[in-house]
Amino acid sequence: MSVLLDVKNLRVDLPTENGMLHAVRGIDFQVRRGEMLCLVGESGCGKSMTSLALMGLLPRKAICTADRMAFDGVELLGLPDKKLNQLRGQRMSMIFQEPMTSLNPAYTLGNQLCEAMLEKPGVTRAEARERAIYLLHRTGIGNAEDRLRQYPHQLSGGLRQRVMIAMALMCGPDLIIADEPTTALDVTIQAQILRMIRELQREFGTAVVFITHDLGVVSRIADRVAVMYAGQVVETTDVAQLFAAPRHPYTRGLLNCIPVRGKTLPGSKLQAIPGVVPSLVGDVGGCVFRNRCSLADAACEQEPPMVNTAAGDKIHYARCHKVTAADAMQLSEVAA
Amino acid sequence: MNMIDIGAVAQAPSASSGSDIALELCALSKVYALKRGMFKAPGEIKAVNDVSLRLYRGETLGLVGESGCGKSTLAKMLLGLLEPTAGNVLINGQEVDPTSRKDNARHIQPIFQDPYSSLNPRKTVAEIVGLPLKLHRIGTSAEQQQSVRKILDLVGMPERTYGQYPNQLSGGQRQRVAIARALILQPDILICDEPTSALDVSVQAQILNLLLDLKAEFGLTYLFISHDLGVVEHLVDRVAVMHKGSIVELETREKIFSDAQHPYTRMLLASALTPEPGLGIPELAVSG
Repeated sequence: MSVLLDVKNLRVDLPTENGMLHAVRGIDFQVRRGEMLCLVGESGCGKSMTSLALMGLLPRKAICTADRMAFDGVELLGLPDKKLNQLRGQRMSMIFQEPMTSLNPAYTLGNQLCEAMLEKPGVTRAEARERAIYLLHRTGIGNAEDRLRQYPHQLSGGLRQRVMIAMALMCGPDLIIADEPTTALDVTIQAQILRMIRELQREFGTAVVFITHDLGVVSRIADRVAVMYAGQVVETTDVAQLFAAPRHPYTRGLLNCIPVRGKTLPGSKLQAIPGVVPSLVGDVGGCVFRNRCSLADAACEQEPPMVNTAAGDKIHYARCHKVTAADAMQLSEVAA
Repeated sequence: MNMIDIGAVAQAPSASSGSDIALELCALSKVYALKRGMFKAPGEIKAVNDVSLRLYRGETLGLVGESGCGKSTLAKMLLGLLEPTAGNVLINGQEVDPTSRKDNARHIQPIFQDPYSSLNPRKTVAEIVGLPLKLHRIGTSAEQQQSVRKILDLVGMPERTYGQYPNQLSGGQRQRVAIARALILQPDILICDEPTSALDVSVQAQILNLLLDLKAEFGLTYLFISHDLGVVEHLVDRVAVMHKGSIVELETREKIFSDAQHPYTRMLLASALTPEPGLGIPELAVSG
């Protein structure tokens, strides 16, 4: 599979009253064609800023730099707006978290669905309408033709998110960035929507960057996972490897603190990660997880290296000085 | 005589020390009128429809269901914040009078979902936690301060935060303050309405551990409202499943999670995405 999106050393800084907030601090990742990459992390880890940077939707005062941020060979940073608009909506599109606020209340669904496709030269209204009806139907919305005349407020949250997904697929994009698309929905709706995203993604061969904080969702939907913490990718590998043998102490902590049936005894103490995420305002140096990590020592004051911990040609990167020590801890846990 | 005793014990949940009832809801309903236009007859929404529940002393009852099923309406009626259309609420056998919320507050206290909006932004942590004592005129000013310190220490708030305002605290710390405020009057029953759903998972574990510790220490009774079945399974003794305003299934934790009867409960269980590293196969949920 060829690389569709190549990001190297992406940094996003936001000036605030108290100093510079380093929201994203040099992250690298690649998305191949037709693959589902999950960016997972807690609030404030920079996952949403990363997605906004990719789409060129950062707040105006934000400072975004990268060694490379290429979509299918086209460098996105510094691309004139006109060129960028030819990519956005056509070849890369986005699904936002809030289906309640991301549709325009003043226009009908038909209007909004067809808008991006009509920008393409040579597309007629009838063609756009036909595609809209087809996609609404595929996203599981009944009587699609009537829906095109409806306004967003006439739809429930689950339906609105289906419309957003249909809209993202209108122009047959190569890449979809989905920023927490199911967080605002109920669990049963969430399962349906995730299943649909996965099916359509496989059918159309679309690459998806799926941003979430929910490890349950990640375990079921991802091909590859990048775990983010405090503006960095701290671990990245394929999904089976990540859940079977997490290397970074943060990933491990995250997995340990979720109650899982059959593993955690009900009513027993959960293994919480002590402390809180450090502030990213001002100078941030060394391993950012060291204040919450049981393995941390003086060496962790230095910026940790991103090491490949997998044998052979497999890839399993972890940003940690203590990867070997962390492995020893895991082994002793298994023995105990 | 002996046989009746055995029957009574079997009905009570295993975790409760006795079989006495802390909170009882009798055929509780809440109906909202819905205006449908000038010339149409008004409609009705049955937010809560004839719900009867018993909370035994010392147990944790989980209430699960999707948004809009009436969980929060039910919680508000229990707290006396909302008057039921029909039915009544008994706390320790006493009927709740919605006009005397101050008396109810001694026995039943809430912890809300959103720690960002449930704390007064213009009061310090110590003031927020001490306010219930002031309102109820419990103890002298010095005694009040002492109990505030004690309870804040108990929920794990560092001393430097006592004079801080809510916007200076993290989400987890705010929820700890909300818990301290709920506990300061030493109530018997806590209504936890999605207490961790606004928090990150690493912080959620800290708060869940705290709730477990406090329950053991004070012998509290929890009504734990949540949509996260993993958390519910970890915390509760019995589960009530709510759907469209009614309780559709009420069973012990073991039964619900191993042998659910109602189709809606089964659907809820099937759609919960547990992170199962051992399986690690994303197709599971996609096909499930």
